[in-house]
Amino acid sequence: MSDASEAVQRPASETLLEQEYALPPEQRFNPLRWARREPAGALGVVLILVIGIMSGAAPLLNTTDPKSLESFTSDNLVGPSSDYYFGTDRQGRDVWSSVLYGGRISLKIGVVTVLVGTVGGTLLALIAGFVGGPVDFGLSRVADMLFAVPSLLLAMILDVVLVDKLPDLPALPAEELARVLAIAFFFMPGAFRIMRGSVLEQRSGQYVEAATLIGAGQFRIMLRHILPNITGLVIVLTTISLPAAILTEATLSFLLGSDAPSWGAELSGDSRQFFKNAPWLAIFPGAALAITVFGFNMFGDSIRDTLDPRLRGRI
Amino acid sequence: MWNYIIRRLIAIPLMLLVLSLVLFLLIWTLPGDAAFTAALSIADTVNLEKLQERFGLDRPWYVQYGDWLGGIFVGDFGDSLTPPHDSVMGSVKERLPKTLEVGLLTIILSAVISVPVGVISAVRRNKPEDYLLRAGTILGISVPNFWTGTLIIIYAFVWFNWNPIQDWVEFTEDPLKNLAIVIFPAAILAYSGAAYTARIMRSAMLEVLYSDHVRTARAKGLRERVVIFRHVFRSALIPVLTVVGLQLGTILGGAIVAEQIFAIPGMGLFALERIVARDYTAVLMITMIFAAMFMFVTLLVDILYTYVDPRIRY
Repeated sequence: MSDASEAVQRPASETLLEQEYALPPEQRFNPLRWARREPAGALGVVLILVIGIMSGAAPLLNTTDPKSLESFTSDNLVGPSSDYYFGTDRQGRDVWSSVLYGGRISLKIGVVTVLVGTVGGTLLALIAGFVGGPVDFGLSRVADMLFAVPSLLLAMILDVVLVDKLPDLPALPAEELARVLAIAFFFMPGAFRIMRGSVLEQRSGQYVEAATLIGAGQFRIMLRHILPNITGLVIVLTTISLPAAILTEATLSFLLGSDAPSWGAELSGDSRQFFKNAPWLAIFPGAALAITVFGFNMFGDSIRDTLDPRLRGRI
Repeated sequence: MWNYIIRRLIAIPLMLLVLSLVLFLLIWTLPGDAAFTAALSIADTVNLEKLQERFGLDRPWYVQYGDWLGGIFVGDFGDSLTPPHDSVMGSVKERLPKTLEVGLLTIILSAVISVPVGVISAVRRNKPEDYLLRAGTILGISVPNFWTGTLIIIYAFVWFNWNPIQDWVEFTEDPLKNLAIVIFPAAILAYSGAAYTARIMRSAMLEVLYSDHVRTARAKGLRERVVIFRHVFRSALIPVLTVVGLQLGTILGGAIVAEQIFAIPGMGLFALERIVARDYTAVLMITMIFAAMFMFVTLLVDILYTYVDPRIRY
């Protein structure tokens, strides 16, 4: 009797578990349905994909690498035409090429930065929320303090200080590395604050109490119980921060210049004196930047509304 | 209440003190004095030793920090590391009022635009005017302000043959000319600021619009206008106030961009010039001033809460 019931129960409980966790087909994520419900988000995805693919496939799209020597031609300051879709600059370089190649830099730095900033902020928030006491107090006060400095000013100072001190890495030259760290730092106090609140909220949840009673260690609770529960917020925070990161990168490149052809840098420096006679130099890089940021904003808003509508107005 | 204010007022200098120490360590100790040599060598390699001696750069960092801190208390913010080695205090006195003027105008413009936009957008939710206003606000937070500023300069010239006024005029000298200078940086900063605030205003209004006390107000037969302004608007102001307070930081950061584009000799341009020149005495002081302003405004906002929402007590 007992043997038989065990034999029946075990597979039954497994399938029950599966049944409980598997969503019915109509509730599974369906991109098309999501697009119909969130048309603005879908538009954002399309814009991001178009800009991303065009930057990624830049060498195939009738461009010359703006870093190469043959990008300099004798056709200087020529307006948009069928040869040069976006016109040329003072040195005869094709603006279409520099916009597409610039997208690579802007997107790369934007994505890396946000990952470093939000992941870093989340890790610090987990530590603060768990160790508590003086560590939490100290980290929170540092965040308050950094919050009081205009983040752009802080990022500029860090960029300049770090660029003198960092070595060149194989994938990231010192200039880009300094920029990534400076912008990541821009986001960390904010990410830390939001995530710390969420960690503390989760920590007082009953499931944490239950896990503690079973005998789970602090470290296990942190990584296996709390972290999965705040992942949604981390995703929302990351997507919402992306447009700001791309804008900040562009602003820093605009103010401090950049060796790489980034969208912000194209609007700065010596080329500014030609803008009045050759407006295309300013229009196209700026428009590419604005469209990208716009796309990410639309996408981020929809992701937030899909994953957690209660966050609207908070982040 | 007073107790709270006094505690906050004591905390501000303490936080500034720690901030200055953190910045000092960041700038001074990381590479020895390589950063200084970078700043000084641009200026004068021959006089390097003389300059190092003048600024006491060969001393350990804590002696330098103590020296700097002692100076603060007697109102001496130190001299610039870069030529002409003028007093930082002098430059700040000259430049701060200009940035404050731009900042104040930005806040006024931003409030005047964002509040009605947010209210209309929420009240006429999912109607054509809401879509139009939302498109405008999302553009406002997406379009980089240095691009807007650049386009204004280009097309003001191309279409109207107009160039921004290059020489600063005080408000007391010629109010109209002064406004003609500051209105452009303030307008581009206010557009992105207002777009952000309007979005918060809209979602705050929407949250309150469907709450019980509003339904009660309607049920007892109040006119819609009274419901919106007396019941919804006031409750929705609290999150908006927070955002407006926090925006000061964004405005001060934005001032760096706006002053650079429109050549306004204010604190923002000062910050940019001195950061690029690695003039760390000035950079440290600028950061401290901005941080102090931000801390006082945050305190002011926290005090204002008690007026907007009488439930809040400290």
